[in-house]
Amino acid sequence: MIQVKVEKDHAKYQKVTILGHAMYDDYGKDIVCAAASSIVITTVNGILALDKGSLSYMVSKKGMTIDIKNEDSTTQLLVGNMVSLLKELEQNYPTNIEVK
Amino acid sequence: MKFLKLDIQLFAHHKGQGSTSNGRDSAGRRLGAKAADGKFITAGSIIYRQRGTKVFPGTNVRRGKDDSLFATVDGIVKFERLGKDKKQASVYPVGE
Repeated sequence: MIQVKVEKDHAKYQKVTILGHAMYDDYGKDIVCAAASSIVITTVNGILALDKGSLSYMVSKKGMTIDIKNEDSTTQLLVGNMVSLLKELEQNYPTNIEVK
Repeated sequence: MKFLKLDIQLFAHHKGQGSTSNGRDSAGRRLGAKAADGKFITAGSIIYRQRGTKVFPGTNVRRGKDDSLFATVDGIVKFERLGKDKKQASVYPVGE
């Protein structure tokens, strides 16, 4: 199961940690993983396109950690959108992804 | 920070590269005929390497402990039929 942990401070997104595997299907056919990966990668690249210094990320075999440095509205809006999309995914596939 | 590469299986479970306990084999034992039909060989020469008796010992030929057939006299090798479905190897001295 993919576990998404969202850390906020004064209603501002500070950090998003995504660990684990969806385990929906075999590698290459895991649609839940594909959805989660696409949501996260699109958001990260979008924010970096606006401002390279607004976040930093680290990818490992276990998963991914995104540190949000900017508290400007655009960055917060895009991260918020990512989190809400991941929550929507969680509603459809509760056994494969969990957002806390 | 550089852009992320789009890997849509980023959070997918990589099928473990299982290991197998197979993958071993012994070297070939090079069995089979060592002297061709009609060839002159000397006494003691190996005619046929085998496991069991694919080919039986015939005239002037004996079977070793590893079932190999060898000549007991100098002569010409002959592979012959033995009964309905068996084969034998014989050695006939030249001039016989």
